[in-house]
Amino acid sequence: MKNKIGVYVCHCGGNISDYVDVEKVRKAVENDEGVYLAKTTMFACADSNQKEMVDDIKDQGLDGVVVASCSPKLHLLTFRAVTERAGLNKYNYVHANIREQVSWAHSDDKLGATEKAIKIVKATIAKVRNSEALEPIKVKSIKAVAVIGAGVAGMRAAIELAEAGSEVFLIEREFFVGGRVAQWDNLFVSEETGKELVTRLYDEVMRHRHVTLFTGAEVIENSGNVGNFKLKVKITPRHFKLSCAQGELQKAIDVCPVVVPDEFNFNITTRKAIYHNYPSEYPQLPAVDMKNCTRCGECEKVCNGVDFSQQTEYLNINVGSVLLATGFDPYEPKKGEFGYGEINNVVTLQQFKRIVHYCDDKLMYNGKEVKNIAYIYCVGSRQVDGENKYCSRYCCTATIHAAIDVKKKFKKVHNFHFNRGIRTYGKQEVLYDESSRLGDIYLQSFEHDPPKVERVGDETIVRIKDVLTKDKELEVVADLVVLVTGMVPRKDNSIGNLLKVPKGRDKFFNEIHMKLRPVETVIDGVTIAGASQGPKNIMESMNSALSAATKSFSLINSGELALEPTVAMVDENACDYCGKCEEACPYSAFEKVEKSGKFIVKVNSTVCKGCGMCLPVCPTNAINLIGLTDVDMENMIDALVPQV
Amino acid sequence: MARINPDFTEELRDYGAFDPNACYNCGNCTAVCTLSDEDNSFPRTMVRVSVLGLEDEIKSSLDPWLCYYCGECSTTCPREADPGELMMSLRRYLIAKYDWTGLSGLLYKSLTASIIAFLGLAALVIWFGYSESFNLEVIMPQGHLFEMLAIGSVFTIILLPNIIHMWWLSMYKPGVKASIGLYFKALGDLIVHMFTQKRTLGCDDNQFRWFEHFILVLGYLSLLFTTVFLNWFETHNLFIIILGYVESAIIFVVTFDFVKSRIQKNKEISKHSQPSDWLFVIWLLLMGLTAFIVRLFIDLDVLENNSWMYFVHLIVLVQWSLIIVPFGKWSHFLYRSFAMYFQKIKELAV
Repeated sequence: MKNKIGVYVCHCGGNISDYVDVEKVRKAVENDEGVYLAKTTMFACADSNQKEMVDDIKDQGLDGVVVASCSPKLHLLTFRAVTERAGLNKYNYVHANIREQVSWAHSDDKLGATEKAIKIVKATIAKVRNSEALEPIKVKSIKAVAVIGAGVAGMRAAIELAEAGSEVFLIEREFFVGGRVAQWDNLFVSEETGKELVTRLYDEVMRHRHVTLFTGAEVIENSGNVGNFKLKVKITPRHFKLSCAQGELQKAIDVCPVVVPDEFNFNITTRKAIYHNYPSEYPQLPAVDMKNCTRCGECEKVCNGVDFSQQTEYLNINVGSVLLATGFDPYEPKKGEFGYGEINNVVTLQQFKRIVHYCDDKLMYNGKEVKNIAYIYCVGSRQVDGENKYCSRYCCTATIHAAIDVKKKFKKVHNFHFNRGIRTYGKQEVLYDESSRLGDIYLQSFEHDPPKVERVGDETIVRIKDVLTKDKELEVVADLVVLVTGMVPRKDNSIGNLLKVPKGRDKFFNEIHMKLRPVETVIDGVTIAGASQGPKNIMESMNSALSAATKSFSLINSGELALEPTVAMVDENACDYCGKCEEACPYSAFEKVEKSGKFIVKVNSTVCKGCGMCLPVCPTNAINLIGLTDVDMENMIDALVPQV
Repeated sequence: MARINPDFTEELRDYGAFDPNACYNCGNCTAVCTLSDEDNSFPRTMVRVSVLGLEDEIKSSLDPWLCYYCGECSTTCPREADPGELMMSLRRYLIAKYDWTGLSGLLYKSLTASIIAFLGLAALVIWFGYSESFNLEVIMPQGHLFEMLAIGSVFTIILLPNIIHMWWLSMYKPGVKASIGLYFKALGDLIVHMFTQKRTLGCDDNQFRWFEHFILVLGYLSLLFTTVFLNWFETHNLFIIILGYVESAIIFVVTFDFVKSRIQKNKEISKHSQPSDWLFVIWLLLMGLTAFIVRLFIDLDVLENNSWMYFVHLIVLVQWSLIIVPFGKWSHFLYRSFAMYFQKIKELAV
């Protein structure tokens, strides 16, 4: 029990004292049990008052402090720091809000406001009377980070972490690195190809001996928490122990009888069951696609690198932090959406890029030369009826860049951009300028009146009510219709589920705060980077990869983490395991354990956030929240509702 | 439903258009234009339909004629798409489309064709002089007779059918419903615009340009009257002689100023000069100047010894009346006046 409590009632200039009689409040509480000192102050947060508080605590030997002022969101940490500076444990400080909850809320009733302020301060004093000194929970942190996804964001983050001195496990589900960027040819503004970018990053990744790359690998189990995540990784064999001798690989591919659509080329071409996406791809070891392989054995006969005896391996790794860079999926238009899947010359932007890549002197599609190309923007993004309300950011620029490329490569081509407002923001605006000067035609519609794609005879016609031409209905006969498809979250969210990373309304991984904490998630120790968080172009992905790497590194660098001690605590005697708290807990902080011959729950204090969801569901009242116990609550209620 | 024709801007470039594709439809040009209003909003709309190649829209539009090319739009354009020059090119394009002979289009697009036509006519005049042994007493009355014939035939064979064609494209085809009465009612506008060009005054800071243009038109038309009907070259009436001197002097002084500003390129309107622009101003200058000198030679009694001077004048006159008037820039004067007239009828018909 505290008996030297200091109470400070703040005027807040006049914000409080204009409606609340602060002197009356001070008088009403100065004789409360345990109160040793009660003062009013013009600005409690002012440096001079903070200094006075420090002196009071030291000179008078105060053992508990209450400041009645604004919302704790504003100054709780300020006054906790004051008590710490004075040598008092910061959990002996309790904050009373008499501004947002009293003076501002009841400016029409000064007497009532003063009465309410008195009750709140009395209740706060009742709480501080029983406060205890608490120490942060210290946990060890393993100096290693798992980076999930070896696309450009993942590789960039891995390099950064390795350079800073962390051990890095780079885990890629596919057999090859580079993700979506590897599939993209020329990139806008920097004028490199995606492959070049991937090559540069891969070379750098390989130079760091602290980065271990796993391909064909997937995280299948997770236990533990920040500082010590225990991950189980499943590694699927690529069935190649070493590369084939010169020329043998091509023979092995030639003899393979299995032909499947090539997903790397967005199904516009086919590949064999033995494959590599492009000749210089990393790692430079082909793979066998076991889903489609018939095990005929023909390849083994021509190439002795093939090894069907390889088995699936499982690996357990321990890391202090997990960085998710799992990327995105391109939006797949629905059948019939702008003629997709029904009219044979309707393709997606991704497919279009591959078509342009594979054509040399003439742009051909389905055996016909392509002259007029109609690009339909915002397919799968900024949807009026669908769920994808967001803008996919990269697509306007990528399309215009592709249009310029195709026009430069095949002079006779005409580009028609059916857009809903062009967003080539920042430095990318120069591309819009270049394209319109090359004679590209921009037609604009509003979201409720999108363009229509129709097949009339042997012509594909795109129609639009053009905002820029007095809403006149215009049409273009298109040899190729390109649907500018945006980004959607990965269909496969197994890693997200495993780590319990919450998703935003757009179904991408969600950060804690869009502006202030853009790469952290509510799961301590899990950071997010690249397009897994939402549509981003490469530059933006690199930015987020670098900041996620820095954030992850800051968690593991010192080897120890200090966590808030205000967590749930189980009374082992009272607990008769029922599992209700486990169901209520949003962080999976409970664990069923056996102790003294019965089952009880145990709180993992490094996972628990002290949210209190478990408290009301416990039938035996076995759970308490450290720092806000049932006794604290009852004391406060007693102070608020005096017995009649 | 209109089908987009992206190749059209290429064709328009032959008429002088600069870079309409640069346009991003901000509409600054329309906002800054003092002649554009809610009912007739230009030039952005014309830039747009040109970029899209909506030829029917352009052919039926009178908007290009409503512009007097002060050049503010081009100065203001953030993309240097030069909407003012586009409007000028559209006027050339329209003249080519109105002209049933197709010669206008040929002469606009091909400098070679223009040169051949000019040289051909010059050769014809010299051949005629040669066949008459360069005897001025025979040739001068013939020249006078030519003037009268040329005026009549150029008007009835070429200009009148072209104006009817213009009416068909801009009034009949778009389905403007106007009674005969309205055609009479609006006639006043035709006359006023034809002789005063008063719409130019709506352009900012263009009073002087309007004045120059106004006295040039008056000088030109009255000189035409003085030479053709008052037979200036053969008259002995002192008043008519002096009147002719003044009129021809006005023509070459004003056109000299026009040529000068086209060379200096100090105004937006004089920045881009197509061959047709040069031919128009230079030939008009030559018309005034040679007429002046011929009459001077007559009064000084030196023409007989210098009959070449009259041939120079006759060559200029023939080229002017058979090329520039029916197919060249002179016809602007006529089509613009009729555009204003048709526009008025359209407004009355609503």
